[in-house]
Amino acid sequence: MEIKKDILWRVYLCFIGMAVLSVFVLGRAIYIQQVQGSFWRGMGDSLHLKYLPIDAERGSIYSEDGNMLSTSVPIFDVYIDFGADGLREKQGKRFKDNVDSLSISLAALFEDKPAATYEKELKLAYKNKERYYPLKKKISFDQYKAMRDFPLVRQGRNKSGFIIDPRDKRINPYVLLANRTIGLSRLNPKQNVGLELTYDSLLRGTTGQRLMRYAAGTYMPVEGAELDPVNGKDIVTTLDTYIQDVAQNALMKMMVNNNSLHGTVIVMETATGKIKAIANLGKQPDGTYIEDLNYGIGKATEPGSIFKLATLLSLLEDKYVTIKSIVNTEGGVKSFSGLRIKDSHLGAYEMTVKEAFERSSNVAFAKLADQYYGSEPTKFTDHLAKFRLNQMTGVDIVASSAKPTIKTPKNRSWSKTTIPYMAHGYEEMVTPLHMLMLYNAVANNGKMMKPYLVSAIRDYGVDIKKIEPQVLVEKIASDETLAQARECLKAVVDSAHGTAHKVVFDSLYSISGKTGTAVTALDNKGYNKGNKIYQASFIGYFPSEAPKYSIAVVIQNSRESKLVYGADVSGRVFKEVSDHIYGHFINNTKYAYTAAADTSMHVSSGMRSDLGSIFSYLNIIYRDSAVSGAWRRMQLVNNSASMSTPADFQTSSAVTPNVIGMGLKDAVYLLENKGLKITVTGRGKVVNQSLLAGTNFTKGQKISLLLN
Amino acid sequence: MSEQTNIRSFFTPDFSNMGGNLVKKTKGDRVIWAIVILLTLASLLLVYSSTGSLAYRMSKSNESYLFKQFAFIILGLLIIYFAHRINYTIYSKVALILFLISIPLLLYTLLFGVQLNAGSRWIKLPVINMTFQTSDLAKLALFMYMSRQLSRKQLVIKDFKKGFLPVVIPVGIICILIAPANLSTAVLIAGTSFLLMFIGRVSTKHILATLGIALIPVVLLITIAVSTYDKQTGETKKLPAFLASGRIPTWISRIQTFVYSKKDDDNEKLYQINQAKIAVANGGWLGKGPGNSTARNFLPHSYSDFIYAIIIEEYGLLGGAAMLCIYLLFLYRCIRIYKKCPYAFGAFLALALSFTLVIQAIANMGVNVNLFPNTGVTLPLVSMGGSSFLFTCLSIGIILSVSRNVEQQEGEEALKKTKQIAKEEAAAVVAV
Repeated sequence: MEIKKDILWRVYLCFIGMAVLSVFVLGRAIYIQQVQGSFWRGMGDSLHLKYLPIDAERGSIYSEDGNMLSTSVPIFDVYIDFGADGLREKQGKRFKDNVDSLSISLAALFEDKPAATYEKELKLAYKNKERYYPLKKKISFDQYKAMRDFPLVRQGRNKSGFIIDPRDKRINPYVLLANRTIGLSRLNPKQNVGLELTYDSLLRGTTGQRLMRYAAGTYMPVEGAELDPVNGKDIVTTLDTYIQDVAQNALMKMMVNNNSLHGTVIVMETATGKIKAIANLGKQPDGTYIEDLNYGIGKATEPGSIFKLATLLSLLEDKYVTIKSIVNTEGGVKSFSGLRIKDSHLGAYEMTVKEAFERSSNVAFAKLADQYYGSEPTKFTDHLAKFRLNQMTGVDIVASSAKPTIKTPKNRSWSKTTIPYMAHGYEEMVTPLHMLMLYNAVANNGKMMKPYLVSAIRDYGVDIKKIEPQVLVEKIASDETLAQARECLKAVVDSAHGTAHKVVFDSLYSISGKTGTAVTALDNKGYNKGNKIYQASFIGYFPSEAPKYSIAVVIQNSRESKLVYGADVSGRVFKEVSDHIYGHFINNTKYAYTAAADTSMHVSSGMRSDLGSIFSYLNIIYRDSAVSGAWRRMQLVNNSASMSTPADFQTSSAVTPNVIGMGLKDAVYLLENKGLKITVTGRGKVVNQSLLAGTNFTKGQKISLLLN
Repeated sequence: MSEQTNIRSFFTPDFSNMGGNLVKKTKGDRVIWAIVILLTLASLLLVYSSTGSLAYRMSKSNESYLFKQFAFIILGLLIIYFAHRINYTIYSKVALILFLISIPLLLYTLLFGVQLNAGSRWIKLPVINMTFQTSDLAKLALFMYMSRQLSRKQLVIKDFKKGFLPVVIPVGIICILIAPANLSTAVLIAGTSFLLMFIGRVSTKHILATLGIALIPVVLLITIAVSTYDKQTGETKKLPAFLASGRIPTWISRIQTFVYSKKDDDNEKLYQINQAKIAVANGGWLGKGPGNSTARNFLPHSYSDFIYAIIIEEYGLLGGAAMLCIYLLFLYRCIRIYKKCPYAFGAFLALALSFTLVIQAIANMGVNVNLFPNTGVTLPLVSMGGSSFLFTCLSIGIILSVSRNVEQQEGEEALKKTKQIAKEEAAAVVAV
């Protein structure tokens, strides 16, 4: 019993020890809870709750004729978490069982790597236990949908480790078309350009928010704590894809041929000020041309002779001259306070103001302006202000618009030579759009319209706001002045001496406009000989009698350019664009395309029963010359149809059938029955097939179809 | 009833009257039985609540873990029942056999075991396809064996050769075999062993000396941990090659985490313990109520290693305190068995096994409230199933077996006494 008692006190001592430890544990728990409690609870909330932004769908940008110029499509980035419990359990049984078939499926879907490579990469990533292995980025919705049914992937995120990250990608279906104007939508909206920037707040919509609580391995939304996103509005632009296409092509052709630096074409609807097209191209260091800057709106330059219209309007409006007044060009050279102004064609003396305009005499306009405005220069600059050449154009894309510079006598650099130089287009900086507005106003009976790019804001297909044409200046000059100015502008093209006569004149319809060939300094190196380059412009409108469209073409040539003069370079572009527009919109007899096929005979292929039901629905009588078989080729001439079974449609024959014009379903059915393997690109109807119709093939051979 | 019939009745159970018999034959300390039932019921609630996230990740239904745990409990109760029906003196021999088996098993585990959380602690049983932690078996075997040795050597216990060495050598072997894969368990076993040696009257001199030797590697490890800690970056400096092998870097980093972390540190090492603290902080005095834990979604192993945090979160400090009291009550009841048990082996068995369980429980709770560094021991009977649950049940079964024998003896003595009184009375009557 002695021993037992000896042991008993030890036991009690240990028991007390345990009790004391228990008190410590409890005390510690109380300390964590009561003393540090708020800290931990705060940390808990911040870890367990989070706001998840719900992205609004960005609106699309449409052309006026209903084409989608910019839209968002969902794309998906696919990652794999090779640390997923489901993937690794049982020593990675699930992964090992599926990796083979998964690789084959992936290789078949993306066709970028052979299955063996996929398998090797997946196994390596599995071995390294990568938690965020980027499998494939930017896959389309269709690919994503196909991938969801793949082995392993279909077992869900927890078992497969597949993480799908959906994103929106901005695409411009018309690629280059006016893309500087439509703009770029970037991840950081501040870096957007063009309409995407100006209308970003509308396009973007309002991001929603959802309070998420982490529970059961994932974030679950907390009921009643969400803020729905408001999808972005759609924007309908004034742009016309046809005109835009024409303008773009004409500009590109000229610039490539003439090795120009950069250029712009703007097409404006005379009555409204709508910008129907705006093309901008700049030469890249590698010699290609892309829309790198909005030259038409965003770059102010010395306009050159196209500015003489402003001078002419001022002189006429102030009644200092009429277009019949005689002016002496003094052989084409005259000195103003020591600075010599020269004409491009020397040797002429007395001529009318109209002639001076059509020949674009620098001396005449410098002299007239100096004579009448030399002593009261504000009178001249007031006119320019009335033509709104000294302020922003007001076009929608504010951020990429350039500010013009029109001097006034108050300027420190104002001198005695300023007036004569301004009169023929120097010592001032304006954008092509500024000049176009002025020409358009003359064409529009003196009413100056605000140029604009967006005609409607649309929400779910309904216009919620229509933007109406806006008048900036009701009348920039009297009718008398305008009539004379228009006569001069017409003479530039019509008169045999007119600078644009050779290039722009068209016997079918009448064009009015003005050429300009401005000397500009290359890279601000001054006007020294070696650095002199020419900016060629032509601005005008047509048809002269009742103008519908005004077009400005301004192209900056390089030292290598073969063509230099405004008419030769920009006049040609103008003419090409105006021809197309005239043919397409105003009088489409001459310029209608001959490409359209004779539509009186239709040939199509399909299932006999399908064709039969179509004909009976359309009440067309048809004859079936074939006895058996499911496939028919039908011909429809003058509302009577005949059907036959060509040999190449028979499953037994080893001849490639003609599937052009078929829908994909029909084509696949027919071709696969014959034993061909098919790859398809595009959507719509078959427009091309890689194996020629009528040629022999071997079973299992590949044929690719192009749909459109 | 003699011991002979007892054993026979176990090996040839009488199934004819199973239902009634089962209850009738359930003997032993009723309070301990009640505690077992209470704890397993609590485990059902807690496991159901805390496995939601695990079930989701494994794509299983929420109830699957509940049913699994229920099955474990039934199995565990059966183990307790059968273990307590066996006369505990048998365990003396069983202890020796188990101890001898556990050594090669541990060796095998160390070399070929299944890796879970980087330490190889598990082996897979071939037939029933269940992994089990060999250290659980070894632990039980060791303490049973220690009880045997302590009881046998009581008379020579103060002698170094005859008393001390036979007790300490088995402890040394087991700890050394467990330590490489599972240091914290080894430390826990060593600590419990020292406590048992102290209770078993092993010379204090010898205990202190052994403690001193055992502490050398521990102190060394802590020194290395402190010296290789880079206070600027908060990371471990590059370790020399001989330290960079096996699980040594893990131990070093765990010690560093425990020693240096502050509460606003936000790193992954602290994630688990921070989540446990959030759970504790959210509990309040009375808790959020059953099934309302949020921490379960963030706390890895909330159903095993960190179940105490969930207990406090759902049932508050009050629930946490109650849980502590239950384990202390269990210990107290086992001490009572010890006091009543006339045989040294039984007495030591009750003490050894109960102290282990309670030490493990307090260790688990201590980790949960960040009193000790993260170890990875479960809360006995409460944490979700597995081999440790079944071994715990076996321990309790053995304790109850001792208790049952004590009761029986008391009963026989009482019977004797009444018989004697009756005899005396009868004699008195006769005398009258």
